[in-house]
Amino acid sequence: MIVVTPDGEKLNLMPLNIGPSHGATHGCLRYMTALDGENIVASVSEIGYLHRGFEKMVERGTWQQVVPYTDRLNYCSAMMNNFAYCRAVEELIGVEIPERAKVLRVIVNELSRIADHFICVAAASQDLGSTTGFFYMFDSREMTMVIWEKLTGARLTNAYGRIGGLYRDTYEGFEDDVLAVLKQVDKNLHDLHACFDRNRIFLDRTVGVGKISAKDATAWGWTGPCLRATGVASDLRKDEPYFGYETYDWNVVTGTEGDVFDRLMVRLAEAEESSKIIKQALERLKSLKGCPVNTNDPRVRVPDHEHAYQDMESLIGRFKTVLDGVRVPKGEFYQGSEVANGELGFSVVSDGSGKPWRVKVRPPCFPHYAAFDKMVEGALLADSIATLSSLNIIAGELDR
Amino acid sequence: MSDCVKTPRVATPGLRKETSDAVFALLSEKFAAVRDADAPKDFSVVVDASKVHDVIRFLRDDKACGFDMLLDIVGVDYLGFKDYEGPRFAVEYLLKNVYDPAKRIRVKAKVAEGASVPTVSDLFPIADWQEREVWDQYGIVFAGHPDLRRLLNHAEFVGHPLRKDYPAQKRQWLSTNDYLLPALEKKLESMGYRIVKRSKEVMTNDDEYLEGSIRK
Repeated sequence: MIVVTPDGEKLNLMPLNIGPSHGATHGCLRYMTALDGENIVASVSEIGYLHRGFEKMVERGTWQQVVPYTDRLNYCSAMMNNFAYCRAVEELIGVEIPERAKVLRVIVNELSRIADHFICVAAASQDLGSTTGFFYMFDSREMTMVIWEKLTGARLTNAYGRIGGLYRDTYEGFEDDVLAVLKQVDKNLHDLHACFDRNRIFLDRTVGVGKISAKDATAWGWTGPCLRATGVASDLRKDEPYFGYETYDWNVVTGTEGDVFDRLMVRLAEAEESSKIIKQALERLKSLKGCPVNTNDPRVRVPDHEHAYQDMESLIGRFKTVLDGVRVPKGEFYQGSEVANGELGFSVVSDGSGKPWRVKVRPPCFPHYAAFDKMVEGALLADSIATLSSLNIIAGELDR
Repeated sequence: MSDCVKTPRVATPGLRKETSDAVFALLSEKFAAVRDADAPKDFSVVVDASKVHDVIRFLRDDKACGFDMLLDIVGVDYLGFKDYEGPRFAVEYLLKNVYDPAKRIRVKAKVAEGASVPTVSDLFPIADWQEREVWDQYGIVFAGHPDLRRLLNHAEFVGHPLRKDYPAQKRQWLSTNDYLLPALEKKLESMGYRIVKRSKEVMTNDDEYLEGSIRK
């Protein structure tokens, strides 16, 4: 396409379509650029290739039946979404979950966070041409997946959260498995830093690329590690503590420049902080051995099979809760939780029945990808790939 | 960058109540906002739909408010809601302050079917996509929006799927890819470029829509 620039110069721009099925557009993302040589003059993006109608589907089931759907939001750290959703419903009903469930949720949350951050950095290094970085990072992630298999019975879509607690307690030897993963995480981090920190190619591709200021990032609605990379120490685990995060000793990591390098390094440093939290939580888990992981509150409790087969009242209770759903009081509520990518919020509207009237997800990726076009305009085409992978856009969450 | 680094501040219930009371006093005085009875656990206010733009601008710019982040725009359809009377839709704006976690607000505007809400995409850049999504899912028009296209659903899609009267099992025939070139040209023009010759190989061609498509 031939255009005249604002300065009156005549240019021949090449429209180039990237995605939705492209190795660097993880999931299904698509953007179209107008290229002047290798420079992006303008870019427009389109989302919705993975739109499955999450918000329509959940209106058909009961409150509990939403949990497996939330797995499919950010499928790299499925259980964090479970807990974020369960927390929103629990807060609306006003149910307190048992201490052991809180500690277990913290452990699973942080282990998922490490895995999610590692996937992001692994994919980013793969996009930048380093297969070594990719395999270093996937090492400990595979061990995490094995823990998930034992704990929940699934690798990817775990559906481990329940309103009022957890699906089940841990297995024998869970603590040792987690500690082994943390050891491997330390080793992977050491290897990756050795590989990248003074690597000329890596630094050239990431430092100063895809920059965004703290002011712009806030106006675009960025949260999580991408916002923290610009220097804003905003983390819901510290700001609005839940699951007892305020009682652990850990730090919020921030960057300074808000470029690709900072976003990746903030994620790696956060993995270290998460590792610190898990170690403290494992200590607490020892003293809570044998404690329940599900609340006894009759409003949300589902009597277990053991009781349901022996006792008539439990059988009726189980039947009623499973078929009619948990009774959530009439009202509207918003609850945001800090997941790997930022603030995952659930706006829930209840009409007092056992089915949600409306569940709106506020995916953290959505603002990140909305700002993407603005960030890459004026940059090189290759830099747009580096920028995209550093944002960690998960299409399942973006498109819902 | 030290000016960006905030001092730690934790949102306690007391702090939340204090800030929400202060903000509510300002809003009720200036915009006749009322507390939202449906959301007792959140700080939520109801304003008239025509005042939405002014309210959001006030919340963003006023020194005492300083809500610098628009988290989300939520559409709700109340068709068939138990004991509900009033306009069919609601549009909710969720805002927060990044540096002061005690500050969170939901601004709610009730919208009748066919009525429109003023856009806030000039105040927050993210509102552009968020409003497109609400329009796509509910058909609520945002007056003054620069480019109100579908966002999540396909360009050929008919209807607004999250409306309560849209059957969930309904299927539609969607045949071809979405052409982004018109959007790209529009963007170039908004940046001051003038298009002399359009590129023809990626233009919409009627032959590409398959048999059965609504475009046929």
